[in-house]
Amino acid sequence: MNKELLSQKKKSVLIGGIALFLLLSNFSLPQSQSFLNISVKDHPKLSRIIVESSFPLSFEIEKRPSDVRIIIRTDTSFLIQKEPFESSVIRSFGWRRGRDYYILTFNIIPGRFSYDYFTLDNPPQLIIDLSPLSEKKEELLPEPTIVPPLSRTERPSAPSREIKTVVIDPGHGGLWPGAMGKSGTLEKDITLAISLKLAAVIQRNLALRVVLTRDKDVDVSLENRAAIANNNKADIFISIHANSSYQKDARGPETYFLSLEATDEEARKLAYLENNPTQPEEGIAGGNQDEIQMILWDMAQTAYLKQSSELAESIQNELNLLLRTRNRGIRQAPFTVLAGVACAAVLVEVAFLSNPREERRLLNEDFQNDAAKAIYDGLVSYLERNS
Amino acid sequence: MDRKRLAILGFLFVFLVVLVFIFFKTGVREKIKPSPLVPTPESMELPAKPGAKIEVVLFFLSEKDTYLHSEKREIDAGVSVVRQAKQAVEELLKGSQLGYISPFPPETKLRELHVTRGGVAYVDFSKDIVEEHLSGSSAEISTIYSVVNSLAYNFDSIKRVFILIEGREKETLGGHISLSKPFLPLYDLIAK
Repeated sequence: MNKELLSQKKKSVLIGGIALFLLLSNFSLPQSQSFLNISVKDHPKLSRIIVESSFPLSFEIEKRPSDVRIIIRTDTSFLIQKEPFESSVIRSFGWRRGRDYYILTFNIIPGRFSYDYFTLDNPPQLIIDLSPLSEKKEELLPEPTIVPPLSRTERPSAPSREIKTVVIDPGHGGLWPGAMGKSGTLEKDITLAISLKLAAVIQRNLALRVVLTRDKDVDVSLENRAAIANNNKADIFISIHANSSYQKDARGPETYFLSLEATDEEARKLAYLENNPTQPEEGIAGGNQDEIQMILWDMAQTAYLKQSSELAESIQNELNLLLRTRNRGIRQAPFTVLAGVACAAVLVEVAFLSNPREERRLLNEDFQNDAAKAIYDGLVSYLERNS
Repeated sequence: MDRKRLAILGFLFVFLVVLVFIFFKTGVREKIKPSPLVPTPESMELPAKPGAKIEVVLFFLSEKDTYLHSEKREIDAGVSVVRQAKQAVEELLKGSQLGYISPFPPETKLRELHVTRGGVAYVDFSKDIVEEHLSGSSAEISTIYSVVNSLAYNFDSIKRVFILIEGREKETLGGHISLSKPFLPLYDLIAK
């Protein structure tokens, strides 16, 4: 009888225990489910980052000169597990959490990489491949490595410096044709032709060093165009393009410089960091110094907007004289190629490829020479005002 | 014996009930609370009668100048800002009824649209918007700001617009304007 009671008691404890276990496991599952698993693997020719998650990811990827960031927008918290790794490309991994986002940061070695990413379902995975660009490609370009961002002391005021180097950037190239005219003219060919003529006229007449971001029909990424300018200590950056519009009648030249609009978020971030130099951000894991430098790299152009607008005005004036069309004028827009350039930088849209009459002119070598001369004249008048 | 067994089972049952009660009713509970400042656009119920319409302003290009021109359009009041925003973009893609120019490749479809609590609208277009795009700077600027201005102008809960293509982030539409950040509206581009 006593024995039986005892065994009954044991049973009840067991059943209660199981019930408790079931309850707990059932209801604590959602929490333990949310995780991110980070792994990095080196393969021949590429390094692969794999972010596996227990839930569908909504993410943004930002490529920067010294790191790759994954921004995950979410209100829920989750566990981040990192598998130990050794990689020849990825130096370290860090993360931090903001109010409704996580930022994962992979610090990478200096150099030029091509990026590719894709996602897989079940389990949800984000895969980012970084492959160093081949040596052969690098030989085409002057100084392929990306320069370190400006140091804090260098940035605040754009110094009035002696102008020694002009970087000319023929838009598009290689696999990226840019705009196309009705009769098949490709923007990349026009930009290269005018750029080469501009480089020649500058070299003939001015004691300036001229660097081209490409001198043949090859791909150069937008970031690398800016990097080439900075590596060569460019004092002037001129990107040459040919325009197109959904308006049939669109015609005439336009000269652009970077719009502040695109960078105001960084401006605010920078202001915050400068006002609170010792106050680390919430749960920062990557190191504050890196953070500041990355922002400065992004903002490279904002310190030179005044010079850029003056240069744009000088060039636009000359192009208006040449094309004798209504003034579409000087405009601002968030051009990728201008954002990272640390000097006066403009993007010139010589004329409209989408307008058959202007397409014919753009193909004409005399017109190309005139356009190059007009841009040159604009440059000279800018130099006169700034010397 | 049977009564004892019953008593024990009864005790067990009560014990379980108590356990369940303790589990659900006590302890520090993590509450999922929505941000008090900004309501979730998805959940923002709109006081709409069935069949009710609202008026939105869409921005198109014109042949006569470089500015964006407004065109009013009626859409279903719908049940959420997201639904309304989707309709607005779909109407934009249909083109102008007043003879303005659509700055979109005609094949372009809206795949998805969602709005974060932070006020960023993610607008996901089909790949045609890239593959069939004219690719010039002016064309890119008008495509981008036609969407961005149309959304930000009509919907207070949309502050910025992030453009995705086939669900993914793309560097540019045609090699000029960076799509890697959400755009603020640029009302300077609108004709006075």
